[in-house]
Amino acid sequence: MTTLSSHVSSRPIPNPKNSLITKLNAGTGLIVGVVFAVATYNLLKGENEDPGIAYNIHNRALLAAMFMWSIGFLVGIGAFIGPWRWLIGKDLTAEEQLYLAGDGQGIKRYFKYCTDHKVVGIQYLWGVITLLGVGGAMAMMIRTNLAAPGGHFITASVYNSLVGLHGITMIIAMIIVATGPFGNYIMPIMIGAADMAFPRLNALSWWVLFTAIPVLCSAWFLGGIPTGWTAYAPLSIQAGPGMNAFIATIIIFAVSTAVAGSNITATVIAMRAKGMTWNRVPIFVIGATISVALAVPAFPTFMVSMIMTALDRTYMTGFFDANIGGSGWLYAHLFWIMGHPEVYVILIPGVAVLMEIVPVFVRMPLFSYIGAVVGFAGIAGLSILVWAHHMYMSGWMPMLNGPFMVTTEMISIPTGLIFLVMLGTLWHGKPWLKLPMLGVYAFLWNMLVGGITGIYLSDVPADNYLHGSMYVTAHFHYTLMGAALTGAVAGLAYWFPKMTGRMLNERAGYVSFWLIQIGFQVLYLGMFTAGAEGQPRRVVNYASQFATANRISTVGAYLVGTGFVVLLWAVVHSWRHGKIAPMNPWGAKSLEWTVPYPVPLVNFDTPPVVTSDPYGYGKAVK
Amino acid sequence: MSSDTKFHVHHDAPEVVGRRERLGVRILIVADASFVFAMVFSYFYLRNLNTNGGWIPKDGHTFSVASGWVVVLPLIVGAILHKIGQRNLKTIGTISIITLVVYLYGLYYQIHQIMNMPFIVKDTGGFEGAYASSWVLIAGANAFHYIIASFLALGLVIRARRANVDPTLEKWRMRTAASWFTWIAISGVICAITTGIM
Ligand SMILES: [Cu+2]
Repeated sequence: MTTLSSHVSSRPIPNPKNSLITKLNAGTGLIVGVVFAVATYNLLKGENEDPGIAYNIHNRALLAAMFMWSIGFLVGIGAFIGPWRWLIGKDLTAEEQLYLAGDGQGIKRYFKYCTDHKVVGIQYLWGVITLLGVGGAMAMMIRTNLAAPGGHFITASVYNSLVGLHGITMIIAMIIVATGPFGNYIMPIMIGAADMAFPRLNALSWWVLFTAIPVLCSAWFLGGIPTGWTAYAPLSIQAGPGMNAFIATIIIFAVSTAVAGSNITATVIAMRAKGMTWNRVPIFVIGATISVALAVPAFPTFMVSMIMTALDRTYMTGFFDANIGGSGWLYAHLFWIMGHPEVYVILIPGVAVLMEIVPVFVRMPLFSYIGAVVGFAGIAGLSILVWAHHMYMSGWMPMLNGPFMVTTEMISIPTGLIFLVMLGTLWHGKPWLKLPMLGVYAFLWNMLVGGITGIYLSDVPADNYLHGSMYVTAHFHYTLMGAALTGAVAGLAYWFPKMTGRMLNERAGYVSFWLIQIGFQVLYLGMFTAGAEGQPRRVVNYASQFATANRISTVGAYLVGTGFVVLLWAVVHSWRHGKIAPMNPWGAKSLEWTVPYPVPLVNFDTPPVVTSDPYGYGKAVK
Repeated sequence: MSSDTKFHVHHDAPEVVGRRERLGVRILIVADASFVFAMVFSYFYLRNLNTNGGWIPKDGHTFSVASGWVVVLPLIVGAILHKIGQRNLKTIGTISIITLVVYLYGLYYQIHQIMNMPFIVKDTGGFEGAYASSWVLIAGANAFHYIIASFLALGLVIRARRANVDPTLEKWRMRTAASWFTWIAISGVICAITTGIM
C-alpha cells in the first residue's frame, strides 16, 4: 500500500491511460449488478409439483440473485481490480492509486470506488441519513396505526413487516451512525494519519454496505417479513419470500462490518502520529475502536445463524426444525450472542462522541480519561456474558437465569463510571451552550431513564411480568435513540464545520433539538405506561384501556418526526448556504481542527507530532 | 521530500506496510474464528440437545472419523509447505505450486464429499437430522477456507515470476499469507475433532 502526499494544490488530475479504473463507477456497478441478479434468478428458478420443494427452489433463486446483485455491483464498480491485479502480479501503479483517491474529481468521486477516507465518510453519512429516513417513515406509520385502538390504518401482516423492517433498518443505521461518518472522515485526522490503513478496503466496506440497502428494501416487494427484526426460528424458516431479503441483508452487512472493523482497528493501532501514545488518543477514537473491535467477533455469529436459516429454507437442513433434530433455542443463542454486544457496538461510539464534546465546551480536561477507557472496556467485556437475559422466559435453562441476571446488572458498574466521568467533567466547568453541548444533557437524562428501566428488565421476577411488552420497546429506544442517536446528532453538529466547511444552522438546530427531545419524552412516557399496564409489543391492535397512553405516544412521535425533518432541512440548507466555518470554530485541541477545509488529500502537509493529550484546558478537578 | 512540482507519491517503508497488512489479516482472522466458534458451538449444542432423537440420521449414515481428517490433511500440509517456502524468496514460487496443488486437491475432496453425502432423503433432497445439517455447514466453511487459500497460493506462484516486486514487502506478504494458512489449518483440526464426535 502507498500513501500519497502532495505539495502543490494545482497539480493536474492523474489520468492513468488505458486503465479500466477510470471507466468504472456506480452506474456500471448498477448495470452489472442487475444483469448478474436477473441472469441468476432466471437460471435457478424452476417449477416443481411438490409445493415444499418449489418453495425451496424459489428461495434458492431469490437468495442467489440477491448475492449476485451484490457481487455484480462490486465487479462493475471495480472493487475487485485491486485483488485481481495482485493475483496477476501487476500491482496498481502509483498513478492509479492516486486516481482511486479521487483528488480533483469533484462530485463524481462520490459515485466511484473512491479510497479517500473523507469521501467514504460522506458516503456513509448519506447512507445513514437515508436509512434513518426510511426507518423513521416506517416508525411514523406504526405510531399512526397505534394512535387509536382498532388499528384499521394498516393490515396486520403489513404491520408485522413494518415493525420488523423498521427494526432492522434502524439497527443497521445505528451501527454505522457514528463509526461510519465520523469514524471514517474524522478519526484518521484525529490520530494524525494520512488515510486509513487500507484505503481500498475502506471503499469496499461502504460499497458492500450500499448493496445491502436495495436488498433490504426489496423485502417490501416480496411480501415483507413476519418475524420482527430478531427473525426468530422456526417462524423465519416458514416465512414467505421477503425473508430472503432479510437474510441476504444481514450476511452482506456482516461482511461489510468485518471489513470496516478490521480496517478501523488496524488504523488506530498502526497509523497514529508520532507521539500519540495510547493515553493521548482522543476518547472518541478509543470508543469507536472498542466498538468495532467488539463488532468484529460478534457479527459472524449472526451471520452463521442467517446461513443456517437460509439452508433450512433452501436445502431442507434441520438446524431449527425440531422434527428433524433442530432447535429454536439454538437460533436464540446465536442471535443474542451477537445481539447484546451489538447494543454496545451502537451505544459506545455515540457516548464517546459526547465525551469528546464535553471537555471542549466546558474548557475542562476530561475528568478521568482512564475511567472512561475502563468504563468502555468494561461494558464491552461484560456485554459478551449477558446474552441469555433475552431468554429468561424461553424455558431454556431456568437455573442459569440467576447468573445471567448478575452479569447483566454488573454492567451498571462501568456504565456508572461513564456517567461519573461526564458529570465530573461538567462539575466545575462553565458550559458553553452551543448545539453540540445540548446533546450531552439530553444524553445524561435519557441514558439515566434507559439504564434504570433496563435494571427492571434484567431482574428475572420483574421480567416475568414485563417481557414482551411495550415497556421493553420504550426501554431500548431510550438507550439506542435517546442516548446513542443523540450522541451522533451532537457529533454531526460538532464536526459539521470540518466535514462541509460550513456551520450548521444554529436556530434550526435548536428548534429540532427541542422538538426531538420533548417529543421523545412524551412518546416513550406514553409507551412505558402502556407497557407497564401490560400492552404487548409487536401487535397491530390493543385493548381500549391503553388508548390514552397510545394517543400520547403518537403525539410525541409526530413531534420527534417534525424535529428530524427540521434537522434534515438544517443539514441540507447549511451544507449549501451555511455560514463559512473558521478552521477551529469551537477552539478545540484535537488534531482534526488543525487542518483547513477542504481537508487536503493526505490531511497534513507535514506529519504532525503529538506532545500532549487533547484535553489540556486547565487544571484537572481534584 | 521531493522536488517534483506536479505531485509525488510517498511510499511508507515496506516493513511498515507489510506489518500493517498482516495486522489487518489477523483481525479478519478473529472474525473468521468467531464464525468457526459459532459453528462448533451449534454442533455440540444440537448434539447434546438431540431434539426428538434427531441428531444422528435414521439409518445411521454418517461420515467416518477418518474422512474428517483426510479432508483437513491438505490444510496442514499446505501450511507446513508455506512455512518452508517463505524462508527463501527464490524457491517460494516453486513450493507455492505444490502448495496450490495441495489446496486444490483439498478443495476437490471437500466438494466431492459434499456431493456424495450419505444422509440425504431420497425423494425430497432434504437432510436427515441435525448432525447432517451441522456437518454440511462445517464442510462449507472448510471449502471457503480452501478457496481463499488457493487464491493466495496462486497469487504467490504468479508473483514469484515477476521481477519488479519489492523483496521486503513481498517477504512480509509471505508472512501475512502464512497467518491465514496457519489459521485455516488450526480451524481444520478443530472441525475434524468436532465432526469426529458423533
Ligand atoms: Cu441484551
